[in-house]
Amino acid sequence: MAAVKKGDTLVLVGTRKGLFLFHSRDRKRWSSRGPYFEGDTIRHAILDPDNGKTVFAGVTSEHWGPVVARSTDFGGKWSIPKEGPRFSKESGISVTKLWQLQKGAEDDLYVGVEPAGLFRSEDDGATWSSDDGLNYREGRDKWEPGGGGLCLHTILPYPGDSKRMLVGISAAGIFATKDAGESWSMYDAGIRWYGKQKLYDREDLSTCVHKMVRDPQDPAIVYQQNHAGMYRRTRGDPAWKIIENGLPISKSTGGAFGFPIAAHPHDRATAYAVPLVGDYNRVTPGGAMAVSCTTDGGKHWTKMTKGLPQRDAWFTVLREGLRTDSNDPAGVYVGTTTGQLYNSRDDGNSWQLMADHLPQVQSVEAGIVGGR
Amino acid sequence: MGDASGGSVEVYVPYPLRGLTNGVGTVELHAANLGQAIAELNRRFPGLAYRILDDQGRLRRFVNAFVNDEPVSHLSPNDVPLRAGDVVTILPSVAGG
Repeated sequence: MAAVKKGDTLVLVGTRKGLFLFHSRDRKRWSSRGPYFEGDTIRHAILDPDNGKTVFAGVTSEHWGPVVARSTDFGGKWSIPKEGPRFSKESGISVTKLWQLQKGAEDDLYVGVEPAGLFRSEDDGATWSSDDGLNYREGRDKWEPGGGGLCLHTILPYPGDSKRMLVGISAAGIFATKDAGESWSMYDAGIRWYGKQKLYDREDLSTCVHKMVRDPQDPAIVYQQNHAGMYRRTRGDPAWKIIENGLPISKSTGGAFGFPIAAHPHDRATAYAVPLVGDYNRVTPGGAMAVSCTTDGGKHWTKMTKGLPQRDAWFTVLREGLRTDSNDPAGVYVGTTTGQLYNSRDDGNSWQLMADHLPQVQSVEAGIVGGR
Repeated sequence: MGDASGGSVEVYVPYPLRGLTNGVGTVELHAANLGQAIAELNRRFPGLAYRILDDQGRLRRFVNAFVNDEPVSHLSPNDVPLRAGDVVTILPSVAGG
């Protein structure tokens, strides 16, 4: 097994059946490790961006419960805690799945779970504390699940400000805190009603957010792939704005459909998405795979297809299935539900098949060994 | 019905959990009910109870338990009495994909 070295790009691929790690010096020749956690679902795994050394994996055993495992030698040994995050006895609910892991602004670790909940760890996942302000928020009994379950799948800390955070819950909506999770308010105005040319005029209406990402160059700007379209919002905006020029429009929702969205690590206003036909047929349009890119904050999107399959490619890319690395030019990675992993090392302009025949890809994450 | 300290019972630990029991598949212990048996298992093998019970102390959705040949998964573990000589079997449901 090839050694993982400082400066390598590490790509973490969570699948329906275990975790796979890929590493490379030049992003042309890749070495692989794993699978780890045989038979278990890895909906997300990350390389700690602060030290570039610790891998955290959200391990969900459908039978035996979920835990966040940790390795400091890229899978050689895993530290598996005795317990995972738990809801209170009074709540009457139990954590069944882990969805997203995210480092916070204070070297803390967050995990989003199903049924929807947010937990925080100050000891690298050994123990967890509940964000009671969100987890037991009044009205949670009215939260409805999306097709993937009632899951908290997106956690967006605000760089340098530990009091601010956005989270996305399918299909309860988007929630924002400005007081480190003591209180939360909804953040859904501007999303279109399903299939109608009518927009939510209130923040506190549930929408099916699929994924959100901050613009790394201006983290107040957030891009959102929703069940009912593609959106952008920045601080001070009274509502989300539709940004769909150049994206295929779903006949059912009336908006651009897909699951993931990713931001370029360096280029302001540059983001990537993977359009699908619609919620009634969640596959690549026409069996031709494309990653769509905007370089102007969503005013226009263009298809990037060079090297991607343009026929007989009928698959889905799930909400964590698209990521960028922090290299220059940026690497972009896409994992499919049929087990292909594609990568670009030129900002998405051209693509290569990096791995095939993987189990269904649940998540793709990328980092640089040794730190940012 | 076992007494408070419980009689000696045998607990079968399924293969996927034996990473927590150092490979041990059968454990003898004293318990008056299934909840006590799981607590004793967890005392000997920390972390085992979390794998069997959910946040509310119920058997996880896809975990089955039998006392001798009787299914008891639908009961609260503390409400499942054990007698000396009982055999407790913990199994994963035949579920998944």
